[in-house]
Amino acid sequence: MELKIGVSGINAVDNPGPGIGIAKSLKEAKDFKATVVGLAYDAMEPGVYMDWVVDKSFLIPYPSAGHDAFINRLYYIKESFGLDFVMANLDAELPILIRYADELERNGIKTFLPTMEQFKLRGKDRLDEIARNIGIDTPPSEVVASYDELLKAIDKIGLPVMVKGAFYKAYRAYTKQEAVSHFNKIVAQWGYPIIVQKVVSGEEMNVVGAGDGEGNSLGMVGIKKMWITELGKIWTGITIKNEKMLTAARNFIEKYNWRGAFELECIVDLKEDKVYLIEINPRFPAWSYFATGVGVNIAANIIRKAFGLPVVDYKDYPAGKLYVRYTDDMVTDLERFQKIITKGES
Amino acid sequence: MDRLSQLAINDEGFVFDPITGESFTVNQTGLFILKLLKEGKTPEEIVSQLVENFEVSPETAERDVVDFIEKLRSYRLV
Repeated sequence: MELKIGVSGINAVDNPGPGIGIAKSLKEAKDFKATVVGLAYDAMEPGVYMDWVVDKSFLIPYPSAGHDAFINRLYYIKESFGLDFVMANLDAELPILIRYADELERNGIKTFLPTMEQFKLRGKDRLDEIARNIGIDTPPSEVVASYDELLKAIDKIGLPVMVKGAFYKAYRAYTKQEAVSHFNKIVAQWGYPIIVQKVVSGEEMNVVGAGDGEGNSLGMVGIKKMWITELGKIWTGITIKNEKMLTAARNFIEKYNWRGAFELECIVDLKEDKVYLIEINPRFPAWSYFATGVGVNIAANIIRKAFGLPVVDYKDYPAGKLYVRYTDDMVTDLERFQKIITKGES
Repeated sequence: MDRLSQLAINDEGFVFDPITGESFTVNQTGLFILKLLKEGKTPEEIVSQLVENFEVSPETAERDVVDFIEKLRSYRLV
């Protein structure tokens, strides 16, 4: 089966999008042939020029441009080049694609996304409830919406604290003054509520996985970050098997009938034998190729599920495999840049 | 959670813990003790094997084994 698969997040930059790793994963599938259609927001996203991974690229408008601009652009790609599936990899794309998923499907473009209700579970004000339901913990936290509540929450939790937006941004505060400053910054940019959370110690461990929407796993892999960049992006990592964390991920898929890719970010306190849930991302992380590299091709399994191909039952993966990200450079012709700027496609 | 039994140990003394992702290096004596601990041997049995295989008095061997197990305990491996 030949499939034209749209992949966004092909910005392989210092804050990398997940797209290139997913494109590589799709190319490695043997039971279908993926033509990767890069969906770029900027003519300088490196993936546009990586023609050994991304076969053809299109500039697309920001999702905030709405149905007429964003969805119609996908229809244009469908008509002019072909587009059987959209693998949405950036948070901002999900609401519009979830909303119009049925319409897209009727027009021959499949997606495999969480429902809007599932998507909302990623809010940090829901973490506590989810963690409890899947058998792990969250650091003690308070949801606040005013200075007064903020200060009361700090008194209750004790410094230092993490000050977090419901969806974006998280800063560590060692004093009340710092906490107030972070609170103001996040409110100005992202609004209320703000979450004040106790700083817990432990190892940063993550799970990438996907659910089929019926309570079954399409594959999952657990890792520990060994080296991160200043932006907190993983640069070196290692596969691990922390059963408590993996069981929680399985519970997450089962209890919420999760559909599509996800990442659970956890802090594991080995002394207390506690796994704290820090964040749920309703999409692939930038390092998802790590899973493919250890034999668990989650992206390919999503495609298999979406197109009714036999799904591979990935039962296990080896612990102790190393992930090393690296930067590279290339030299190409200006015509390629001109073409994508003027025509909107490579 | 028995971390010791799950450790991956190679002949050069590189030790990987698949539960935590931590890695350690041990010398030949440490490797010898670790392998025997993994096999379920008691400290007493390990001391006598050390005396048999290395030029070491039982007192020194016993002290080394106790120290080494304490070290493992500090890393919560036993």
